[in-house]
Amino acid sequence: MIAAGAPRALPWSRRISRAAGSYFLLLPAALVLALVSLYPLVYGVIASLRHYLYGVDHGFAGAGNYLYAIQDQTFIMALATTAKYVLLCVVIETALGLALALLVNRQLAGASIWRIGIILPMTVAPVVVGVMWRLIYASDIGITDPLLGVLGVHGVHVLGSETTAFLGVVVLDVWEWTPLMFLILLAGLQGIPQEPLEAAVMDGASGLRVFFDHVLPMLRPVLFVAIVLRTIDAIGTFDQIYVLTRGGPGVSTQLFSIYAYNSAFLFSQFGRAMAMVVILLAGVLVLAAIAIRLVRSGPGTR
Amino acid sequence: MAEEAGVKSDSIFSRKLSRRDALKAGLVGAAGLSAGAIFEACTIFPKSPSGSSKKIVIGTFQDNAMVPFRDVFVKRFQSETGIQVQYNETNYDAWYQNSKNDGLHKTGAYDIYVLDDNWVPEFAAGGVIQSLDKLGFKANPDILANGLNQGYWPPKSGAKMKAFAGTAPELYAIVIIDDVEILYYNKQYFDTAPKTWDDIARIAAAKSKPGSLYGWSARGVKGNPIMQTYLPLLNAYGGNFVNDDWSPGFAGPEGVAALERLLSFIPYMPSGVAEFDTDQEVQALLQGKCMALTEYTGLSHQVDDSSASKVVGQINMAATPSQVKSGPAIGTFICGIASGAPNPDGAKQFLDWFTSSPIQIDFAKTGSAAVTGTALKDPTIGAQYRWLPAIADAVNNSVAKPRSPDEPKMEDILGTRLNEALVQALSQKSGYHAIATAKLTQAASEITAYLKSQGGYF
Repeated sequence: MIAAGAPRALPWSRRISRAAGSYFLLLPAALVLALVSLYPLVYGVIASLRHYLYGVDHGFAGAGNYLYAIQDQTFIMALATTAKYVLLCVVIETALGLALALLVNRQLAGASIWRIGIILPMTVAPVVVGVMWRLIYASDIGITDPLLGVLGVHGVHVLGSETTAFLGVVVLDVWEWTPLMFLILLAGLQGIPQEPLEAAVMDGASGLRVFFDHVLPMLRPVLFVAIVLRTIDAIGTFDQIYVLTRGGPGVSTQLFSIYAYNSAFLFSQFGRAMAMVVILLAGVLVLAAIAIRLVRSGPGTR
Repeated sequence: MAEEAGVKSDSIFSRKLSRRDALKAGLVGAAGLSAGAIFEACTIFPKSPSGSSKKIVIGTFQDNAMVPFRDVFVKRFQSETGIQVQYNETNYDAWYQNSKNDGLHKTGAYDIYVLDDNWVPEFAAGGVIQSLDKLGFKANPDILANGLNQGYWPPKSGAKMKAFAGTAPELYAIVIIDDVEILYYNKQYFDTAPKTWDDIARIAAAKSKPGSLYGWSARGVKGNPIMQTYLPLLNAYGGNFVNDDWSPGFAGPEGVAALERLLSFIPYMPSGVAEFDTDQEVQALLQGKCMALTEYTGLSHQVDDSSASKVVGQINMAATPSQVKSGPAIGTFICGIASGAPNPDGAKQFLDWFTSSPIQIDFAKTGSAAVTGTALKDPTIGAQYRWLPAIADAVNNSVAKPRSPDEPKMEDILGTRLNEALVQALSQKSGYHAIATAKLTQAASEITAYLKSQGGYF
């Protein structure tokens, strides 16, 4: 029974026609999206199955490029270096970003100035960051060696040895991208309701207890999103390191992105480079899926 | 109906758009855009940036050595022939991609590509550039042979890829600047030009002052930079990058001795040399902190520039030192005509004009590394620009890199291991022979494995 004045239900044919019309109207946008987003991806996968020699397509290669990639020690090392780099950067940036966010969230005097100061590094173009840090680290004109000299550490030459160069690029990344973690986590902190925290304080909970028992669980979804975003972004790091070290000394800072770039554009191995990219993409998708699952299954998300 | 009639009579701006109207407009717009794109892609409408025989387009990478070419000679060609020249320059890496894509797809955006000579094998084998022989281009016989030979594919001598072993070499590109490594030395520390690497080592050991005056400086960054340091040593000690059968020729006693010699300079080089590229190496020389180094000819324009150099008039040039022989690396600026060039005749005319002996003499008068013997050896010009005779000498003794499209990968592999050797030696300060042997052997096996995976070499 339909109540008087209630809108009359449309017949099925009309409903289908209306729905179809809506989808039809969405079609141009979907097509454009497919062109600019999906097509390069599909093209990349196709390219990974082709045999390119000196930039010219010589036909279907089957799994040849993938087999080459997984047997290529330099590629394996680049993946390992990338994993090490991403892990170090994301852990440090998360810890620092969270610490800074907690600090600024405490209604500090001049909080807005702190906020602006902290986010400045991430507004600089990555290539410029690379050039800046190259000048900072340079053994002849840089400031790192004299500064370390004042502290009694001589002859370090950050970019001159494999360990220090790797740590040097991690420091650069931390300087540039901690602000992103800070921003996301600060927004998360400001979205947390204050009542439970005040109640806990009233019940005599210490600051640490409030943080671990209340703040962190409520911040968890935001924290996961920030970590996933930053991880995906860090995996693709290229500009700064290419400018700073070109992947050296040796292969100590040769991330996956630099090796893939060189393979494609310096050695004209488009097929092999695309196979490497697809392998990495698959890995990133698996990681992202795991992270999303963790976020959904965690407390504070239901 | 009345409502419909009413809508029709309204202005298009005030009426309410129905879904059908929106779809119609969208479809018409999309069709228009698609048609435009299709016409553009298929070039149904004549489209040519240099379609007129009165215009050519030159594309190049930015380099200081190209400044006189761009500012003086391109303009002079325009005024002498009436052919307009559009000159487009970009950075090195971008230009490599841009020119390759343009040539592979015969886009026709350029007539002439200015190339680095090690791109020639890939560009010629891949059909990115046209055979100048087939276009009827005749090279000036006055051009120094080692420079001219950089433009042939397959190469006239040395290792050849199997697929091209029976193919007669054709000229695909013509050298326009004979860029080659020469020795720069501060005559305050050397009475005469050092003839051998031993001479350099002896003076470096005697006169270096750690931290303030270096006997030698080098590019130590992995890949291409450190290769430019190592190649003149390798060639001088009688080694080869690759032998005629594509086996690496640097892992034997000659190559090891060459690398040991480089490592033996460690006490006399800046301690951060492993991270040095051209800018840092050159600064050490121009600031008067370095006695000698090998570098390409572009530096010769800076040594007497008081705004850049503290050693004006003190730096002399000579062919790179020998041990068994002198063997500087050659890296010419070389021009090819694009496979899709809209105006190949105009391009040919330009290259013919620029590489002619009279124009090359004028080019040398700007202090540039001309390509003809008469220009480089002219005593009057040589008196004004003291590096020109050294360039002629260096070109005549130069050793080309392997002529293969895979040369960049081979260079990257060896250049990475050389850098590792330098870093390890800087840290250990001893055991140079063992370090050199291990790293060169590793590079040799990696290069062999790579060439086997590519096919066409063994």
